[in-house]
Amino acid sequence: MIPLITGVLGVITAATILVLIRRDHLHARYGLWWVGAAFAFALLGIFPWVFDELAVFLGVAYAPVLALMLAIILLVLKILVMDLERSRNQVKISRLVQRIGLLENDLRALQKMQGKEPGPYGRDELQD
Amino acid sequence: MNSLRSPGSGRKIPRTIVIIPAHNEASDIGRVIAEVREVTAFPVVVVDDASSDDTRELARSAGAIVIPLSVQLGAWGAIQAGLRYALSRNFEYAVTMDADGQHEAGSLPAMMQPILEKRADISIGCCTRRGSRLRKFAWGLMKGVSGLTPDDLTSGFRVYDQRAIKALAGREATLLEYQDVGVLFMLQREGLNIEDVEVEMPPRNSGISRIFHSWTSVGFYMAYTLLLSLTKRQRKARL
Repeated sequence: MIPLITGVLGVITAATILVLIRRDHLHARYGLWWVGAAFAFALLGIFPWVFDELAVFLGVAYAPVLALMLAIILLVLKILVMDLERSRNQVKISRLVQRIGLLENDLRALQKMQGKEPGPYGRDELQD
Repeated sequence: MNSLRSPGSGRKIPRTIVIIPAHNEASDIGRVIAEVREVTAFPVVVVDDASSDDTRELARSAGAIVIPLSVQLGAWGAIQAGLRYALSRNFEYAVTMDADGQHEAGSLPAMMQPILEKRADISIGCCTRRGSRLRKFAWGLMKGVSGLTPDDLTSGFRVYDQRAIKALAGREATLLEYQDVGVLFMLQREGLNIEDVEVEMPPRNSGISRIFHSWTSVGFYMAYTLLLSLTKRQRKARL
């Protein structure tokens, strides 16, 4: 019964991810990881003996511990990669914000030279 | 005092810009700009760090160039925007100072001295007498771990020459959070010389220190800085 439940859960997760990608809610490059994870989840749910064999091979007495340990390692790696990407994105955002500020100053100077009223780039439009 | 204002002594006035990062500093910004303009003829750039008050309008009416940031980046992000402006306009030197009146424009001639005499690439306005026991403890710990020698590691009152401006305007420096140890490590790596200049720093007129206002923020700041110090420390500190 348990293999069936975990297998179905894995397939549902994989299908959800495919739908999210199809509807443009999830970037395909991130979807790859999650589709892989969902299929692994489904396959190992349906064929749990794979872990039992692997645990025996690696000398782990209790197979679920191996599964949990591998899951934690993969999750930690994934979170680390996410923070690396966040750091890169933070740099991109900061530099863009700086650049917009510099350009806005140039634009204002240009408009002043032409005798035009500066705008329409008030604070409210830019806060988001 | 007026040596930065008129070329009376026959010395060429260096192409220098004053960068002031400001976040909700409407109460002081006008006076701070006026003081700088009284002492120097340098253009003043206020980088408005997404203020919700009238900081940018007041800065403009006080005669400053205003670079408005649409998202708050923090003091260092704002200063870096100013340094990028300085680089794009080919300024030789950039002064950074706070908008809360803690840094006195009257100290600028003394701060510029080591740079103009080519003794240093960066001068840091130090006031080690200031500060609580907490701040002094933080300085001592940071100096010990980082191996850096400037007396006032957290002072934002600085003068940078063009090599320093180029180094700090780059993408790598964007990752930093504060204008202190991380910036000093970068400058150290570039082989630039830093000199401390003792200056007076009156208590801030309004607002609170962005770092030393609560144990939580000090805790985060110290952990962040110690991590930077441990990971970026060079074998032989050259400062």
